[in-house]
Amino acid sequence: MIKGSTIRMRRRTLIVAFVTIFVFFTILSVRLFYLQIISGSYLFKMANLQQLASTKLSPRRGVIYDRNMVPLAQSATVWNVVLEPNYIKTDATKELISQGLHEILGTPKEKLLELSEKKSCYTIIEKKIDSDTKNKIVEFKSKNNITNGIRLIEDYKRYYPKETLASTVLGFTGSDGQGLAGLETQYDSVLGGEEGKLVSAKNAIGTDMPYDYEHMIPPKDGNNLVLTLDSTIQSIVEERLKKAIEENDVRNRGAMIVMNPKNGEILALAVEKGFNPNKPFEISDPKDLEILKNTPEEEKQKKESEILFEKCRNKAISDNYYPGSVFKIIMASIGLELGIANEETNFNCTGGIKIGGDTIRCHKRSGHGPLNLVGALCKSCNPAFISLGQEIGTKRFFDFYKSFGFHEKTGIDLPGEGSDIFFSKNGDMHLIDLAVASIGQNFGITPIQMATAACAIANGGKLVTPHIVKEIRDNDGNVIQSFDPKPRRQVISEETAKRVTAMMEQNATSGGVKNAYIPGFRVAGKSGTSEKKDLLVPGEKDYIASFLEFAPANDPEVLLLCYADTPKGRSYYGAPVCIPPSTASMNEILPYMGVQPQYNEEEMKKYGIKVPNLIDKKVEEAKKISIDLGLRPTIVGKGETVIRQTPYRGERISLGGNIIIYTDDSSEEKVKVPNFVGLKKSDAVKLAESLGLNIFASGSNGDDDTVSTQSLAESELVDKGTTINIVVGSGESED
Amino acid sequence: MFKKKNNDKSKIKPKGANLKPERYKKNKFKFRNIKIIGIKSGMDIPFMLLVLLLVAIGLVMMFSASYPNAFYLHHGDSFFFIRNQVIYAIIGILVMFGVSKFDYRNLKTLHIPILIISFIFLLIVLAMPPINGVRRWMQLGPIGFQPSEITKFSIILSFATIIDKNFEKMGTFRYGILPFLMIFIPAASLLALEPHISCTVIVILLAAIMLFIGGIKLRWFAYVLTPILAFLSYLVLFTNKLTYANSRIAGWLNPFDKSSGVDTWQTRQGLYAIGSGGIFGLGLGNSRQKYLFLPEPYNDFIFAVVCEELGFIGAVFILILFATLIWRGIVISIRAKDRFGTLLGLGITMQVGIQIILNIAVVSNTIPNTGISLPFFSYGGTSLLMLLAQMGIILAISRRSNLEKT
Repeated sequence: MIKGSTIRMRRRTLIVAFVTIFVFFTILSVRLFYLQIISGSYLFKMANLQQLASTKLSPRRGVIYDRNMVPLAQSATVWNVVLEPNYIKTDATKELISQGLHEILGTPKEKLLELSEKKSCYTIIEKKIDSDTKNKIVEFKSKNNITNGIRLIEDYKRYYPKETLASTVLGFTGSDGQGLAGLETQYDSVLGGEEGKLVSAKNAIGTDMPYDYEHMIPPKDGNNLVLTLDSTIQSIVEERLKKAIEENDVRNRGAMIVMNPKNGEILALAVEKGFNPNKPFEISDPKDLEILKNTPEEEKQKKESEILFEKCRNKAISDNYYPGSVFKIIMASIGLELGIANEETNFNCTGGIKIGGDTIRCHKRSGHGPLNLVGALCKSCNPAFISLGQEIGTKRFFDFYKSFGFHEKTGIDLPGEGSDIFFSKNGDMHLIDLAVASIGQNFGITPIQMATAACAIANGGKLVTPHIVKEIRDNDGNVIQSFDPKPRRQVISEETAKRVTAMMEQNATSGGVKNAYIPGFRVAGKSGTSEKKDLLVPGEKDYIASFLEFAPANDPEVLLLCYADTPKGRSYYGAPVCIPPSTASMNEILPYMGVQPQYNEEEMKKYGIKVPNLIDKKVEEAKKISIDLGLRPTIVGKGETVIRQTPYRGERISLGGNIIIYTDDSSEEKVKVPNFVGLKKSDAVKLAESLGLNIFASGSNGDDDTVSTQSLAESELVDKGTTINIVVGSGESED
Repeated sequence: MFKKKNNDKSKIKPKGANLKPERYKKNKFKFRNIKIIGIKSGMDIPFMLLVLLLVAIGLVMMFSASYPNAFYLHHGDSFFFIRNQVIYAIIGILVMFGVSKFDYRNLKTLHIPILIISFIFLLIVLAMPPINGVRRWMQLGPIGFQPSEITKFSIILSFATIIDKNFEKMGTFRYGILPFLMIFIPAASLLALEPHISCTVIVILLAAIMLFIGGIKLRWFAYVLTPILAFLSYLVLFTNKLTYANSRIAGWLNPFDKSSGVDTWQTRQGLYAIGSGGIFGLGLGNSRQKYLFLPEPYNDFIFAVVCEELGFIGAVFILILFATLIWRGIVISIRAKDRFGTLLGLGITMQVGIQIILNIAVVSNTIPNTGISLPFFSYGGTSLLMLLAQMGIILAISRRSNLEKT
């Protein structure tokens, strides 16, 4: 002890010990108390903020079904390839991964190497790869024993199994699955669902921490749409329209609307030319490519987006056009409804009518002479309707114009619906305006407005709301919402509607559009040709050809409006351009919808035979069907089943016409189209039969029997069995 | 209580001596019991048990804190760090018991060679390539260590020796100040050159405490402190030369202000960890901050992980263990048979105490961030080995102290 510590040492040691143990340890304890207990929850929250990372979980976008639950748009599972450079340790692995992914995905290797050097743990290098490619990557990973560095994240890709079918209606989606056009836009929130979240604890480099801290908010998959659209009708209509557009050299596209006039359901809505929603940004049409090629480099991009925009534009609902003579059915309705005119009201057409200082000509320069309202409609006499219009007067005209829904949007559930363009906003118009308006000129409406207004005539006077979505269903098939909009109003009386329908039926039976008559069905129709004011080529007159029909007239099930913008073919008139596709479509649609036609012997001879579908049938069976119908089959090839036929199903050809049945890839020699113009109808049929071609004649005037136009040009090479539409008599007399 | 006890002993010496045998008989009895399981009698069992307990807790916490880093950054080998540490801990404990059997008084004669070796190392390390801008680490074959660890010990040893020798003349400048300055100034300068500010601070504090206990006149502290404080005030108030230190201070005051441009990541992550622990902690092994948020959580900031996993309760328990260890170290030292033993034991104990306090103060952002490891917890094999060897010296002192009869 004496040798050990002294008292002073002990005292001083004591001071040191006290300071160290009591003072400092107390300070530290208080500090910890402050940090852990007083501000503990705040720091814990802050720590959580950096530890918890949320990963977006994509919902599956809803399916778009047609009315028979045929999927038109659906989402397939695809994968995004994510590179996680932070987990790639060695340069050799970087090299291996870059090389491997380069081989599988085709991404430049330098780019991959560069990305793998980055300090990151999440770099998407390829989006939406299909399962084949994904499997290749999985195989590559397992083969080279790569556990970290490449990650595959599930995603969805929009897929349209019917390719171009109804593309304008369906629209398409962008890279993030957002709707960019058509129904995809209109019902984006319904289809899109809700994004889910996977909240999980992540370490500082972004991988999962192994402790149990995971909270998943599952994505809510999008709901499904069931359309009123029928994909069978849609494909019938698209096929016909496409053919008509090509044959008539229609420059500015065309559209066809098929509706159920009773409830406004859209059964088909075809726009030519559409696009392929699977590749919405691809321009594949040779004509467009040609245009692009001739565009100077600096304007190329602008032109390209113009073309793409034009393709997406829904001509049937966005375009504004003069309805032309089709509007005369509205004029007749107003006249009857107001009691100003009846079927027997007499008009006298002298080939023109003077309004104020201007004379408006009838298309028949010599005049139709005295005729009643039915005759005026059947002959589409301009002066008759102009004088009817003058009787109605501007105010009442505008009232009915509004009542028929031309001055409001129809409310169709598609984006981009256009509005009308009237002479003035409040309905003021000059008498000369009224005169041209009476024949459907100088005011613009949309095709869907015209079709909807015509529905009112077909359904007994009710203005329906056209719509294309029937139901919204969840993934279990439960109907969440169904759409059955009530008629907007009664526009004309049921009686007026019936009387106008009768006049239109007569027009299709013996009037200007009698070649639209389908044996066995009661078709009511009216064609129209209107002058375009916004000309494509200045100085040249451009027209819009259209045709409206519905059937059966006693209880209309289907209403169809066909519309071709700027036909530059043999004829620009509504009847020759639009009746063949409309009639061919109707001819298929009506039986498809369960309205079976009953032909008699006479009708068969007179109106020809509807070509049956022989594809997929056994050769013997196909032969038998053809012979039974009175057609002459020619079998080409050595196969057992029919793979192709000319003419196509639904086309109408004369009794005893040729049908070429192909059973394999071999093809018959092509035939040069002869000149039919100027021949008698019977001679034309004989000539066609001898060459193995088919003839379908249409014409408005029974007196004149000479062929005035033919649908295919002379000396064009076509397949045997091709149908050539000819117009008998003066095709110009019907409007 | 402590004070009273000490006074009692110094005042009534014979009485105390008479009383003790009975008390130590009991102790001896205990020792015999423990002897059965192979521990040599004579050393201070509470201190030894505290050391072993701290080593054990330290290893568990070190493993918990290190395995995410080991897993993510060392190819999935979760045992990358702990394996090494356990080996050194085992060797260290054997060394500790070995050292405890030697007569620590022999160290007196070794103080000059050890001092010279430590200076040589300090000079060599300055010639080494810098790691992260500092030269603190030396590699001798497979063994890597910080020469500053040896410096600290050599200062303690030489100070204890010289104070013991000059004890009667400690009040004079020539014997009480000059020899110590001759050792201390070059040592502290070389450390500052590395630079190793935290170790320099520890050495300064250690020297001051030892001289204080050694009995120098208190005015010397005033002589030294006044110009230093004046100089520091000048630097802080009238210059911006201490930008490095200043930005540290800025980061210290606002660890959550990310806009200042000061890298406070480690401090911030440490505080998140401590705060996340709350009262009871997230449970052993459940720290989240150790998942690469906290840089090197097994190193200087291991106490943050301790706080996060064991909570305030666990942290305070460990603080109490540390305090008890220091207290016991002081008791052993103060009762050493000779002055040299007292000074050496106090020096070692205080070195451990200073490091613990500074480390926890840094981790809890009580003082600005500087690199100080936590004894018994932080990763580092050689430093653990040296720590345990020094604990062995304290045990050796305890064998000869007045705690024991013979």
